[in-house]
Amino acid sequence: MNNMTLYVNRDSPVHRVDPLTKLLFVFISITSTYISANHLAVFGILLFTFIILMTGNVFKSILPVIGVSFLLIASIIIVQGFFHPDRATVLFEIGPIAIYKEGFSIALLITLRVVNMVAAFGVLILTTKPDDLVEALLQKGLSPKFGYVLLSVLQIIPQMVALTGKITDAQRARGMETEGGIWMRFKSFLPLLGPVVLNSLTETRERSIALEIRGFNAKGNRTFLYERETYRYSMPLRIALIIFFLAVIVWRVMS
Amino acid sequence: MSVLRVVNLKYKYPDSSHFALDDISFTVEKGEFVGIIGMNTAGKTSLGYALSGLIPHFFKGAYGGDVYIGEMDVLSHEISEITAKVGLVFENPFSQMTGAKFTVYDEIAFGLENQGVPRDVMHERIRESMKLLDIEGLQGKNPFSLSGGQMQRVAIASVIAMKPDILILDEPTSQLDPEGAEEVFRVVEKLADEGMTIIMAEQKMEKLAAYADRILLLHDGKLIEDGKPEEVFSRDDLREFGVEPPVYVKVARTLGIRSEKTGQYPISLDEMPRERELRFHPSDYIKSKTTEANGTTTAELIVRDLHFGYEKGQDVIRGLNVTMSGEPIAIIGQNGAGKTTFVKLLKALLKPDSGEIYLDGNPLSRTTAAKLASRIGLIFQNPNDQIFKHKVIDEVMFGPLNIGQSSKEALANAKEMLDLVGLADKADENPYDLSLAERKMVAMASILAMDTDIVIFDEPTMGQDVRGKSKVKEIIHSLHEKEKLVICILHDMDFVAETFGRTIIFSDGGMLFDGPTREAFAQGDALRLARVEQPHITKLVQRMGYDRIVLKETELM
Repeated sequence: MNNMTLYVNRDSPVHRVDPLTKLLFVFISITSTYISANHLAVFGILLFTFIILMTGNVFKSILPVIGVSFLLIASIIIVQGFFHPDRATVLFEIGPIAIYKEGFSIALLITLRVVNMVAAFGVLILTTKPDDLVEALLQKGLSPKFGYVLLSVLQIIPQMVALTGKITDAQRARGMETEGGIWMRFKSFLPLLGPVVLNSLTETRERSIALEIRGFNAKGNRTFLYERETYRYSMPLRIALIIFFLAVIVWRVMS
Repeated sequence: MSVLRVVNLKYKYPDSSHFALDDISFTVEKGEFVGIIGMNTAGKTSLGYALSGLIPHFFKGAYGGDVYIGEMDVLSHEISEITAKVGLVFENPFSQMTGAKFTVYDEIAFGLENQGVPRDVMHERIRESMKLLDIEGLQGKNPFSLSGGQMQRVAIASVIAMKPDILILDEPTSQLDPEGAEEVFRVVEKLADEGMTIIMAEQKMEKLAAYADRILLLHDGKLIEDGKPEEVFSRDDLREFGVEPPVYVKVARTLGIRSEKTGQYPISLDEMPRERELRFHPSDYIKSKTTEANGTTTAELIVRDLHFGYEKGQDVIRGLNVTMSGEPIAIIGQNGAGKTTFVKLLKALLKPDSGEIYLDGNPLSRTTAAKLASRIGLIFQNPNDQIFKHKVIDEVMFGPLNIGQSSKEALANAKEMLDLVGLADKADENPYDLSLAERKMVAMASILAMDTDIVIFDEPTMGQDVRGKSKVKEIIHSLHEKEKLVICILHDMDFVAETFGRTIIFSDGGMLFDGPTREAFAQGDALRLARVEQPHITKLVQRMGYDRIVLKETELM
C-alpha cells in the first residue's frame, strides 16, 4: 500500500541527522552554488550532495526526479547554447546548428545548479520523515497551521498519485481504457486532471472537519508525543556548514 | 446539573429553504447512553454537528435556540473549546484521518498533542484506547493503508483518547463487521458506565434497544419522541418515520407477547421468553418462496487457485477456488479479510499473482478492466472513490457512454436508474452535496445504467436506512430476475438472510464455507472465526428452544 510520503525508510548516518541541520544543509548547498560561479566549485558541491545521498542509501530514489527535470535541463542547454548574447566561439556544430562555447558554459553551470538543488532537497525529503521535520519546526515556534500546510505539500505528490490511482480505477471500472501503450496512457491522462484537482479540493473540506474535531485550532500549549533525542553532532555539523558558507561568500567577494 | 441541554434548537443550512433541525429541546444527564433514530433525512447528523459546535461555527447558516455543554453555551465558544469536552465520530472513516500522522499510534496522539496532554499521560491513553478497540496490532501501520472497518476503529480510538465528557457517534458501526460492531457497543457502554455521556445515531435498532438508556426519534428535523427504548420501539407508527423496530418487537407483536402492565413489547433478546411454542411454515412452502426465480442462467465466474498480495510475501488472497453463477451470492467475513480485494480481482482492477479467473470460460488475464466494463459492474465500497463528475447525471452517464451507448440511450438509461434508486430529482446536483447514503445510491445507479451481466456490490447497505435497504433488496431481486449474476459483500446479516440464497464465509484470504445461506448460518465455528453473527431472527428462534435455522420472520406462522 502507498505510504503517502517520499520518505525512504533506511537506517543510515544521514537518516539520523536532525531535520533542522538537514534543512540548513539544503539552504547552504543551494545558495552556495548560486553565489559561486566557478564550474569546478559547483561541481564539487554537487558531488558532495551526491555522496550524502549515497551515504543515505537513497541515491537511486533521486534519479527519477532528476530524470523528470531533464526536460528543463535540455531546454536550458539549447536556449543558452544558441542564444546567449556573448556567443563568439563555436563549440561544435550539429548539422547547420552551432552551439556556442560561452552559452554552453553558462548552460552547464545552470544545469549543475538545478541538479544540485533537486539532489539537496532529496537529502532532506528522502531521509527525513515529514512529520519529524514539521514537528522540529513546530518546536521552533512555527505555527501549526503553517506546519500542516508544509506537511500537505510534502505529501502532495504521493497523494496525487494515490488519488489518480483511485480515479483511474473508477474510470477503468466503467469502460475507459487506460492500459496499453504510451499513446493510450497519455490519452487517458488528460481526462484525469479535472477530477483529480477538484476531488482533492472537496477532500479538503472533510479533512478540515476532521482536524477541527481533534482540537487542531486549540489555543493552549501543545505537547509532543515524542521527545526528540538531540542529535549529538548537530552543533558541529551546523558550525561546519556555516563556516563553509561564509568561506564561499568571502571567496566570491575576493575574486 | 445536566451535562447537555438543548433548548429550542433550530438550524438551516446555507442555501437551504427548510429547517434541518426544527425546534429541538432535550437534556441529557451524565453517564446516559442516548440513541438517536430516524431515517436518513431526519437530521441525526446535523444534530451531531450542532452538539459538537461544527454547527454553527463550521457550517454557517441560520441558527436559533441554545445548546449548553455543562455551563458552556456552544454559540459563544470556539470549536476547539467545545471539542475539549465533546468528541465526535462520524460515519465515513476515510475522512476522519487527519493526514498529519503516518502511523496509527501517532494518529491517535494528534488530538492529545493539540490539547497539550503531558507526554507520559499521552502514551498511557493511546495504549488504553487501542486496547479498548482491539487495534494494538495496527499501531505501526499507516492509517490510510487500513480497511474501512479498521480505520473506523482508529477514528473511535482517537476521539476516546481525548477523554471527552460527551461522546457523539454518528452511525459509527456501519462499516464494521458484526463482531466489530458489537465490540464498539460494548466499549461505548463501558465508557457510559464510567461516566462518559454517549449520544449515538444508529440504524442497528437491535443494538440500540439492548444498550441505550433512552431513544430520541427524529423526523424531518423535529423531535418526535424522547423516551425509554421500550416506549419508543413499541410505537405502532414507527414505519411512518422510516424506522423499523428491532426484530424482537416485530416477532413479539406477531406472537402477542407484551407486558400486561405497560402494553410494551420486549425489545431485546434477553427480554424475550425462553420457551415459547412457535409454528413454522412447512419447509416446502419456504423453499417454493425462496427459490422461485431459480433455474435462471447467468454469466459464470470460475476462480482457480487465486493468489494475490499487495506486498511480496504478504498474501491477502490465499489460493481461492470457487464457481459463481445462478442465484445472488453474499460474501461475509471480518474487516480486512480480503473481500474487497477479491472483488477487485474479479473485476480485473488488480492482477492476480497466480491463478486465473474465467468469465464464461475466457480467462480475465487476457483482457483489461475497461474491456470488462460491459460485462462486469463493480460498485465500490466508498462512493467517494468512484464518483468523479460534478453533476449526478454526468456521473451516471459516464459508464454507458464509454461502453458505446449513444448519448440518447445513455441519458434514458441514466434517468431510469436514478429513478430506481430514488434520486430522480437530484440529477442536476453535485454528488458531493449529497449525503453518504445518497452518494452510495449514485454510485449504484452509475453501474446499473451500464446493464452488465454481472453486478458486484461492495457493502451496498452501508449507511442506508430501512427504505434504502429495501430499495437495495428490490434492486438485487430485479437484477436476478433479469438473469444477472449478483455478488455482494455485506456486514448486515439480517439483510443476507432475507435476500441471498447462497453465502460465502470469508476469512483471512480464504473461504471457510460456501453453500446455501441456511447452512452457512448453522456453521458456528466458521461464523466465529470470520467474526460474524447469526441473524437476529435466527438467534431468537434458537433461544426459544428450537435448533432449526430460521432466516426470515415470514417463516414463522
